[in-house]
Amino acid sequence: MVKDQKQDRGTYRKYFTPKRKVCRFCERNVKDIDFKRIDILRRYVPERGKITPRRVTGTCAYHQRRLTTAIKRARLLALLPYVSD
Amino acid sequence: MRLYETAFLIAPNLPEEEVEELLKKMEDVVSKKKGKMLNVDNWGKRKMAYSINKFEEATYIFFLYEGNPDIPAELERRFKQTEAIIRFLTIKKDPREAIRKTGKRAKKKGKDFEEKTETFKEEEIEEAEEEKEEAKEEKEAGRKKKKEEKKEKDETGEAAEDNQKNKKNKEEK
Repeated sequence: MVKDQKQDRGTYRKYFTPKRKVCRFCERNVKDIDFKRIDILRRYVPERGKITPRRVTGTCAYHQRRLTTAIKRARLLALLPYVSD
Repeated sequence: MRLYETAFLIAPNLPEEEVEELLKKMEDVVSKKKGKMLNVDNWGKRKMAYSINKFEEATYIFFLYEGNPDIPAELERRFKQTEAIIRFLTIKKDPREAIRKTGKRAKKKGKDFEEKTETFKEEEIEEAEEEKEEAKEEKEAGRKKKKEEKKEKDETGEAAEDNQKNKKNKEEK
């Protein structure tokens, strides 16, 4: 079984080259992420209310830092939830 | 002078007239302390993501102003005193970043950028030509210097001959 799984993974890697993710903020030349623009922040906060990691969204380190501060500020003002289920 | 943004939430049970009064008071604080109010944003009543002080909604107000650091301190002191204000947040903003915030502005900026690049090309060409000319002059100056050095070394008529030879060589090249 273990062998089979390994082989599967090998084929998976062969036939699926992941799409290269680009930072959405860099694309649009945004420098400052405003905590008031919840429509943007919502994209990075799925149902559970957690901040999506960089490896999933492809955001660059600079903008991820800005994004987290913006989200945390929005949370303080009850624009976004701390926890939701 | 610094750019600040203060956001605060007013309890929903406060009547609208009093809300306006409160707003005026707060704006007066900024103007009295020689601050410059740039923008007042009132989102009205809005449902909160979680309940604060057992309230489900609140009126959201955002102040954007410029001034000395005693303004936010005074504002926050007053916020603490008034019970109707549930929560507040003050942010120090970087004025350079405030310019390019929204999508529209970013697009505009993109256009500007294109225009700049176009002008750049022309300038670059001119600059390049100038540089070439300068480089030529420098080379000639270097040659002259070399000639002079040689003259000094030889101190005889041979140097002149050498120079002529050099010139011929250069012309051939």
